[in-house]
Amino acid sequence: MLKSMRKFSILLAAVIIAFSSCKKEDVVTPVDTTNDGSFKVFTQGKVTTVQNLIADTIIGISPIGQPYGTGKYSFYSIENNSLVPSSDSATNRWDIAFRGTSILTNAGTSGPGNGGAFVQVGTFDAISAVSADSTFRTDAAPLYAIPLGSGKGWYNYNGASNLLTPIPGRVMMIRTASGKYAKLEILNYYKTGITPSSTAPDDIKINTQRYYNFRYTFQANGSTTF
Amino acid sequence: MKGIVYIVLLLCCCKNAFSQEKSFPDSIFQKSLQEVVVTATRNERKLGNVAVPVTVINQKTIRQAASLRLKDILQEQAGLFITNGFGAGVQMQGLNPDYTLILIDGEPIIGRTSGVLDLNRISVGNIKKIEIVKGPSSSLYGSEAMAGVINIITDKSFQPNVELGLRYGTYKTFDGNLTASTRIGKFGVQAFLNQFNTDGYSIRPYSVERTSLPISRSTAQIQMQYRWNEKTALNASVRYNYEHIKNELAVSNNGQTVNSSGREINKDLNVSAALTHRFSKSVFNSLRLYGTRFEGSQKLTTTNAGGYDDYFLQHFMRAENQTNFQVSKQINITTGIGYQQEKVRSSRYDDKNSQKENSVGYGYFQTEWSPYQKLSLIAGFRYDANKVYAAAFSPKIAAKYAFSDRLQIRASYGKGFKAPDFRQLYLNFTNTSAGSYSVYGALEAGSTIAQLDAAGLIKQYENDFYALQNLRPEYSNGFNAGFTFFPLKKLQWQLNIFRNDIKDLIESRLVATRINNTQIYSYINVKQAFTQGLESNISFLIYPCWTFNAGYQFLQTADKDEWQKVKAGNYYYTRDANNNTRLLSRKDYIGLPNRSKHMGNFKIGFEAPNARWFVNMRALYRSKWVVFDKDGNGIYNRQDEFADGFVQLNLSAGYQLKNGLRFQVGTDNALNYTDAANLPNAPGRTFFAGVNWNFKKQSSNNIKK
Repeated sequence: MLKSMRKFSILLAAVIIAFSSCKKEDVVTPVDTTNDGSFKVFTQGKVTTVQNLIADTIIGISPIGQPYGTGKYSFYSIENNSLVPSSDSATNRWDIAFRGTSILTNAGTSGPGNGGAFVQVGTFDAISAVSADSTFRTDAAPLYAIPLGSGKGWYNYNGASNLLTPIPGRVMMIRTASGKYAKLEILNYYKTGITPSSTAPDDIKINTQRYYNFRYTFQANGSTTF
Repeated sequence: MKGIVYIVLLLCCCKNAFSQEKSFPDSIFQKSLQEVVVTATRNERKLGNVAVPVTVINQKTIRQAASLRLKDILQEQAGLFITNGFGAGVQMQGLNPDYTLILIDGEPIIGRTSGVLDLNRISVGNIKKIEIVKGPSSSLYGSEAMAGVINIITDKSFQPNVELGLRYGTYKTFDGNLTASTRIGKFGVQAFLNQFNTDGYSIRPYSVERTSLPISRSTAQIQMQYRWNEKTALNASVRYNYEHIKNELAVSNNGQTVNSSGREINKDLNVSAALTHRFSKSVFNSLRLYGTRFEGSQKLTTTNAGGYDDYFLQHFMRAENQTNFQVSKQINITTGIGYQQEKVRSSRYDDKNSQKENSVGYGYFQTEWSPYQKLSLIAGFRYDANKVYAAAFSPKIAAKYAFSDRLQIRASYGKGFKAPDFRQLYLNFTNTSAGSYSVYGALEAGSTIAQLDAAGLIKQYENDFYALQNLRPEYSNGFNAGFTFFPLKKLQWQLNIFRNDIKDLIESRLVATRINNTQIYSYINVKQAFTQGLESNISFLIYPCWTFNAGYQFLQTADKDEWQKVKAGNYYYTRDANNNTRLLSRKDYIGLPNRSKHMGNFKIGFEAPNARWFVNMRALYRSKWVVFDKDGNGIYNRQDEFADGFVQLNLSAGYQLKNGLRFQVGTDNALNYTDAANLPNAPGRTFFAGVNWNFKKQSSNNIKK
């Protein structure tokens, strides 16, 4: 039943794409930016937004109360604006990978690429270039280009409310597997891009987390300006 | 209609009062300045002569407010806020509960959990008065007296008397008091018993879990005095407090139910003896011995693998000798030396059989100088030396000037400190459930990490590792300045402005990472903060019926490092609902969490001219306080990060018969304000009724007949 539903929706999507691409007028169809909880990628101008990228969501709770997932990363290609199957994890096809709060870039101990990253303080809009004195870090497990831990890299974890929030004003400068540059900002860590209320029940906080919502600007020509 | 009649009656009574006014020679407030207080100078001094801010809460106020536990009466004072978490703690001048010293008859109460001394452990049934000194007082009291000192002074009159009080209220809250005292020749004795029970309550919607648990507390105290003559006396006291808290709960998750059963038992024992002797008219000596013990255990058993067993035992012993010299009419000197020893065993550190101890030797010296009547000056210091952490030197200076009977001004500066606690020194904790991180006390971290490194288990040292060293105490520099002003004979206005600069605050920091990527934390002196504000108290009397009190505190706080970064404008950002990020501006910064900018109270009391009955209303206000870092930038800056402000209204009325019987009824939180998330310790509206019988009042009334 589910399978046939999925088949049907893929068919439907294909039909819609087919029809819309058939339109002769060059009308820009308005991008659907509503966040309904599903994985979605759309581009507006220079900025590509990704909604609800699932990063190893929680599948169970250990006997001592620790939530756990399958332990698998979700791989993403910034150059192609799409997810990459994990069978391609040892290739240059991906640029960034997510698992829980861990973020990998394709280089060093994480992959064969020419990737790297560092976290820059500032607003996404205000950063117009990779500054000349930048040093890109590469993953050297267990140390990563995007540091792990609350308050150290891209997020703060509140032990009282058990909620995780991306630190505002932290932008990841990413070098892709092929050595090109992107700036990337994590917007939210929860499904539909909305952090649950601090008083929400634990099962809501557990079941809606590890859904990455982020945006980035990729410079395809290899220059350091955005 | 009936109400109107009463109001008219009340007004009539006050009209009489006004007509009688001329027969009262002195303002009642001027009299209150004659009240003798001891905490501010460790000497008996008239309140009006003390150069530091002191508040006195007397027994009548405590009784008319129908307070049972220390928390109940402190929460009605301007500038004191009761915090939740690890029991009810008191926040003074914006400083955490860790930094207020709490004494019973001048001796410290121990048994703090995460720095909080639970004020519910102390019954106010046999209290004569409470003296509150604000501002650093370490120059006399040593560690913990950073924000101030709260000294609970028990009744030691030893008049032949028996008093029995019983009270019952909402949530099966029962309180019973029995006090008996007598004097046989040179020997005086007083016994006090208190039993307090409550069934707890639940104010969380859709939850059977109790917000407040069923509690039983029993207190017994015996005080004795032997007075050889006018010059020499021996006082001794034994106090025992037993507290039992039950916690039964069932948690359902995905159809599975986990039952857990917990109990917490806390036992306090305090034993003190003081020998006082007046060598001459100008030399008075007191030798005090004090020992106290606090034992706390918490046990939780569950039907699944969870559960824990926690044990904590603390001993504190002290010998102290103080001598007061009256050098001349203008100069008084107080000096003392003491030695104290503290021992702790706890499952919270490494194992509960390993004993940690520290001893402190100290001396203090204080001069009070009144070069002429209008001016009095205090200068003093204390030095605390010990073997575990850095020594502390705590000076204090204070001055008071009386322009007239109507206006006095005062100013003081003091340095306060809080010694590192045993947890910060000795903790040896590894959390096996959440990521296997470890926390080592400052005295343990260096050697433990060195051992791990020798075994090849350390991957990396963090920058803060190199900051590890012997912990210093946390310090504050406190300034207080204010006045007492009588614009009218029956109108008193007290104002105090304060500023506390706190440095070397101890926090846990990541110091190293193990090979397997588990993290090691320890404690270092890192943070700096300040609190500043003003406190105002206005009292107005319409003798003999009405009293009006209005108290207010304005408070500003900041973490200094955060504030520097906010001012620099290149580190902290915030995000709005649409995920637009912007740089934080100065006016966004709120400061330290759990502090209200505005706090106030307004109290109206009416007492019948014959003192037979009274009615009072106490309204307590607290403005919103920040609790939550919603935008995840690590600091508090958003308007939606606050808990709501509130007003709590308490009412009480009492009637006294000639035969020594008193009746009292009342309601607390009459507006039924609750906030399960942020005020779990405040139940909804509660009612109570009580009766009190005083043997002496009965007999004295009989004598009058």
